[in-house]
Amino acid sequence: MNGLRRILPLALVVCGGLLAASASAQVDITVTRKIVHRIPIAVVGLRPTRMASRGPDLAAKTQSILVSDLEFSTTFEVLPPAFLPFEPREIRLGEEEKVLPSLNQLQVQAMLAVDLTKQGKELVLEGRVYNVSRGTFLGGKRYFGDAKALRTMVHRLADEVVFWLTGERGVASTRIAFATAERRTTELYLMDYDGHNAVLATGNRSINLSPRFSPDGKLLAYTSYRDGNPDLYLLNLETGKRKKVSAVPGLNISPAWSPGGRLLALSLSKGGGTNLYLMRPTGGGLRRLTNGLGISVSPSFSPNGRQIAFTSDRGGSPQVYMVEIEGTNLRRLTFDGGYNASPRWSPRGDKIAFISDRAGGGFQIYLMNPDGSGVQQITTSGSNEDPAWSPDGRHLVFTSNRSGTKDVYVMHADGSGQKRLTRNALNNFAPDWSP
Amino acid sequence: MARETKEVEQRGIRSSTASGRGPVWGSVLFLSGALLLAGCPKRPEVQTGAVRAAEEKVVIGEKEIVVVEEASLNDVFFDFDKSLIRSDAKVALGNDIKWLKANAGVRIVVEGHADERGTNEYNLALGNRRVKAVRDYLVAGGINAKRISTISYGEERPFVVGHDESAWKWNRRGHFVVAK
Repeated sequence: MNGLRRILPLALVVCGGLLAASASAQVDITVTRKIVHRIPIAVVGLRPTRMASRGPDLAAKTQSILVSDLEFSTTFEVLPPAFLPFEPREIRLGEEEKVLPSLNQLQVQAMLAVDLTKQGKELVLEGRVYNVSRGTFLGGKRYFGDAKALRTMVHRLADEVVFWLTGERGVASTRIAFATAERRTTELYLMDYDGHNAVLATGNRSINLSPRFSPDGKLLAYTSYRDGNPDLYLLNLETGKRKKVSAVPGLNISPAWSPGGRLLALSLSKGGGTNLYLMRPTGGGLRRLTNGLGISVSPSFSPNGRQIAFTSDRGGSPQVYMVEIEGTNLRRLTFDGGYNASPRWSPRGDKIAFISDRAGGGFQIYLMNPDGSGVQQITTSGSNEDPAWSPDGRHLVFTSNRSGTKDVYVMHADGSGQKRLTRNALNNFAPDWSP
Repeated sequence: MARETKEVEQRGIRSSTASGRGPVWGSVLFLSGALLLAGCPKRPEVQTGAVRAAEEKVVIGEKEIVVVEEASLNDVFFDFDKSLIRSDAKVALGNDIKWLKANAGVRIVVEGHADERGTNEYNLALGNRRVKAVRDYLVAGGINAKRISTISYGEERPFVVGHDESAWKWNRRGHFVVAK
C-alpha cells in the first residue's frame, strides 16, 4: 500500500510527460528532471509540544513550516509520514540513528531529526541532518526563542538543512518588500518570504513606491511623495532611520542597486525626458546614462555590474534595452509585442525576467537570455507584472491580478509552484526580494 | 444639457468627499455622471478642477498650499501611452487659458495621471510627460510658466476606479489644482 502511494504520483508525472512530449519535447524533459533533481528527505521527531496545556501543538506547526520551506526550496522531496515504515513523530532525538538503515532501504537520501521542547518561557528547536546512504551525521543546530520567534527559528533551520545538503544558501530566512495601496495612501511593507509577519516600513500616509533592497540587505531604497515631490529615500532597516538621497524637482524614481552596493541607478526627469542616471548611495557623483526626450526607467544591473537592462520608449513603444554602465553600446533586446518592460537580471546572470503584452489580454512574465534570445513564457493566469528574483535565482516574486485584486505571488523560476502571498483585500504590488 | 451635467458631477464628487474620499464609492457615483456625459460626443468636458480643487491640500516643496479657490479649469484627457494634446483637449485648454488670463493672480498645479495599464514606474514618467505637454501648451498660449507647477502621480491616483476603457479614459489626464 505504501509502495503504491509512492509509485502513483511518479506514474502520473511520467504519463503527463509522455502526453506533453507529442506537443513539445522540452516539456517532457523539464518535468522529468524536476522529479529526479529533488533529494528525498525524511523528517523525523517533533513529538507534540505546547506552551500551555490546552494550547496549539507547536511541534505540528513546526513540522508544517519546515515541510513547506523544504518543498519550496525545490531541493527536497519530503516523504509523507505514511510512506515510512515507522511512526516518524515518535522518534526521540538521540535515537534517530536507529532508523537510518530502514530509510536507506527505501532509498531515502537524507534525514532531518527535529525536536522542539519547552524550556521555561522559551522554546528550543534542535535539528540534526544525516546522509542516509553513508549513515553519516552532517550537522546540527539548536535555536532558542519565544513562541513568536518560532517561524523565524524554523526558517533558519530549513536554510541550514539546504546548506548542509547542497552547499547553497536557502531562502527561507529572506524577506519580501512590497507596496500596499489603500484609499489615497500607498505604504511599503516587509514580510517573510512565505507571506507571514508583514510589518509596515513607511507609514507617512503619502505614496511610497519601488522598494529595492541593497545587496547587503541593510538598506531599502524607495520613492516617496512624503514631502510632495516623488523623491528617492534610503531606509536603514536596522536603525529605522530614513535619508533623502535624491530630490531633483520632478521624478526621482525606479532605483536599482549595483551588485556591490556602491552605485544606485535611478530615473530623473531633468530637462525634457525621463533618463537613467547613476549616483552614489550617499548622494553624490551624479552621472547621466541615457539621453533624449523619451522615457528610460526600471534599470536592473547585470550581476557583474557592467551592464544595465531597462525599459524605454525611445523606439516608439515601451521595450527592454541594454546599456553599458559607461552609457555606451545601447541596444534593444525585445521586438515582439507592443509593450515589454520591467527587466530583472537573474542573480546568476543567465536570464532576464521581464513582462510583455505579446500574448494579448494583459501582461505575462517571460525569461530571456541577456542577448534577447530564448524567450520563454512562465505565467498564463491573469495579468502579471513586477518580476523580482530570489537571491538564489531559483524563484521569482511577482504581482498578479488573477484573484480580482493585485496581489504578491511567488513561483519557481520555471513558472511552477505559483503561490499567493498577500490576502488583505487591498492592492499589493511592486515586490522586491531581500538578499 | 451643460447645467444638468454639472449638477450630476458635483453631486458625485461631493459624495466622495462626504464618504471620507472613498475612491470606490466616489467613483461609482461619478460613473453615473460619466454615463450622462457619454451622450455628449467628443467633449468629455468634466469640470473636475472646479470641484476637486476645494478638497485638496497640496504640498509643493517646503510650502503647504491650501487649495480653496473655486475655478473653472477643465481637465485634459489623453490617449493610451500618449502625451499628445488631442483636439478636444485643445478646446478645454483654450478655455483654461482664457480663465487663467482673467485670473492673473492664480497659480496652478498640473497633475499628470495614467491609467492602470503598464508598469507603475513607466506610468510615472508618462504622467510627467503629459503635464509637460499641458504646461507647454499653456505657456505657448501666453501663461507665465512661473504660475504653473507640475507633478506626476502615474497610475497611483486613479480618478475612476475600474478595469476597462470606461474608467481608463478618465484616468489618462492632466488635472488642474488651483494653488492660493
